[in-house]
Amino acid sequence: MEFDPGLFVDLFIRNFEFWWIILPAIFLGLIVGAIPGFSAANTIIILLPMTLAMDPEIGLVFMVALYASSRMGAGIPAILVNIPGTAGAAATPLDGYPMTKQGRGQQALAISFVSSVLGGLLTTVVTLLAMPWLSQVAFYLHSVEMIVVMLFGISLIASIAARDTLKGLIAGFFGLMLGYIGADVVYETPRGTFGFLELYDKVPLIPALVGLFAVSEAFAVIEGESILSQRGKEAMQKASWAETMEGVRIALSKWWHIIWTSMIGLVIGVVPGAGAAIASFVAYQQSRTYSKTPELYGTGHVEGLVAPESANNGVTSGTLVPLLVIGIPGGATAAIMLVVLQYHGVTMGPDLFMDNPELAYGPFAAMAVTYFIMIFTIAPLARYMSRITVVSTTYMSPIIISFTLVGSFVPRQYMFDMYLALVFGVIGYVARKTGYHTAAILIGVILGPLLETYFLRALKISEGDIMVIFSSNLGNILWVGLALSLAVPYLIQLRRAKQAAA
Amino acid sequence: MTDDNETDNPEKKSVGGELILPGAALLFTLYYFYTIWDVPRIAQVSALFVGTILIVLVILLGIRIAKQVKAGEADLGLGRIVEPKNFIPKRLALLGLTIAFIYFVDWLGFTLTVFAFLALAMLLLSEGKKKLLIVSLSAVVAIGGYFLFIVAFQTRFPAGPFEKLMAGLF
Repeated sequence: MEFDPGLFVDLFIRNFEFWWIILPAIFLGLIVGAIPGFSAANTIIILLPMTLAMDPEIGLVFMVALYASSRMGAGIPAILVNIPGTAGAAATPLDGYPMTKQGRGQQALAISFVSSVLGGLLTTVVTLLAMPWLSQVAFYLHSVEMIVVMLFGISLIASIAARDTLKGLIAGFFGLMLGYIGADVVYETPRGTFGFLELYDKVPLIPALVGLFAVSEAFAVIEGESILSQRGKEAMQKASWAETMEGVRIALSKWWHIIWTSMIGLVIGVVPGAGAAIASFVAYQQSRTYSKTPELYGTGHVEGLVAPESANNGVTSGTLVPLLVIGIPGGATAAIMLVVLQYHGVTMGPDLFMDNPELAYGPFAAMAVTYFIMIFTIAPLARYMSRITVVSTTYMSPIIISFTLVGSFVPRQYMFDMYLALVFGVIGYVARKTGYHTAAILIGVILGPLLETYFLRALKISEGDIMVIFSSNLGNILWVGLALSLAVPYLIQLRRAKQAAA
Repeated sequence: MTDDNETDNPEKKSVGGELILPGAALLFTLYYFYTIWDVPRIAQVSALFVGTILIVLVILLGIRIAKQVKAGEADLGLGRIVEPKNFIPKRLALLGLTIAFIYFVDWLGFTLTVFAFLALAMLLLSEGKKKLLIVSLSAVVAIGGYFLFIVAFQTRFPAGPFEKLMAGLF
């Protein structure tokens, strides 16, 4: 599809008309982002019944706005109480929390908001302008290449997002096997269904994601009565407008730093599985490497706060690229968006950009509009909203469990799906507690049926010859990339171990 | 937050829990292979390819853990899955309440079951404190959920006596 400025202008205007759904999503996203362990993904899952009932375009706008604002919200507890709201904000407290300890908490929040909004806005516009070209990528990917791309996606999640590559791979491949459950598409033989008729039509995705993310998290967080210390609560009570304005001024003076660190986030965000956590640490490290005052990092240095916050918002638009272009979600929230869109019968890939450009480009326009609205709405309210972090898990966990389980019932109206969500909840709980990546399992479950379809297609073309998976030049390049992505981290680790031993 | 790594012996990691998921994956893969035993070969290839890789990965993890145990760096305790141990009864009770919630929601419907579950689960987690607050909060959340999801968005949640009674009004 050609670059069409008129379409983009129309999309922006159209998305501004959705202000009534963007505004509540922004506030909700900011709140849930600020609650540790309660991500945008979990919130979208809780509100699935509502999202599924909406028009797909409005549902997508709602999810995107919530996703973008939750990234910003995650920085609040990271700065004020040294507890990142999500893993993506894990690098934020390195300099944000020392600023709070120096009595510059409100200033740090304002810097974080400006960096997040500008970083997110810039990368969203860049992605939107590049999408007509990026969307062509899928035309070069046939069944053989798609097999490698899917395995590549799983291996990247395992090697980058998971702390332990081997366990990440086990989680991803276990997910793929679970995704193979159901009747065979050609011969209609039930496979791995344990005799349940409800599983003949594959594993329903909504119960799987409800269990893996929401239910397992709710069972895990009950260990803490509250997430905050007394000192943290007191920190949230203080407020000063002058400090907020000073923070905005300081952040704007670091505009070049915001630009290049947010671009790091965008590039990393496009890689499936890389995510905001990796991006924020890479940006922080790069910022310190090229700084004239690296010794100040970790002591409450402004650039040490700007870098991770710009980068983790730069990731937000990046993760949507592989989702929309080739139907492979770049992260947990993107995976949930895929589930919702599939429920509405929307198929990802290049056809989406030609048949339904409003829906294909819409998420980026919605994201840009969201960031624009956040400039005027969030900064003034930030200090009050941070108080949500005092919500006790005593109240939070039962609400999450009950609403998400009922949400898993909605799409098919089977009671079985609620039990299935609970089973996935147990799998997710064990995975969390033992260091297996729940997003890798979910992405495996999503990709399983697709991988099987591409396998069948490739084997039919080659009349059953398995070596067909090495028959394409592009596919072979991807195989090498896959092997390198797994081998290089291992070799680096081995080299470091040898150096340490020497 | 929840990943504390305490064990009975602070010098040893308890890695037995890390074998639960791979064990389940291995058993499921073998069961899956059994269910595709009689299908034509072309329909087996994909699952055999992925399943074989999974089995190899599980074996590699098993070897790694066996080496750690043999070297005295780890033991086969359940570790983080059961820690902190004082939360086991609470977590099991919450699991029981959750199963009861799914069982009863079919008859009692969304609003009543959510109210009962929230009240009981919150009382369990708070160890019986703040009863009035919990009952009030449970009622507000359940009724709020009813109006938001069932009345406003016409979501097809399980219907029970409350929803049938209110259907005449909304």
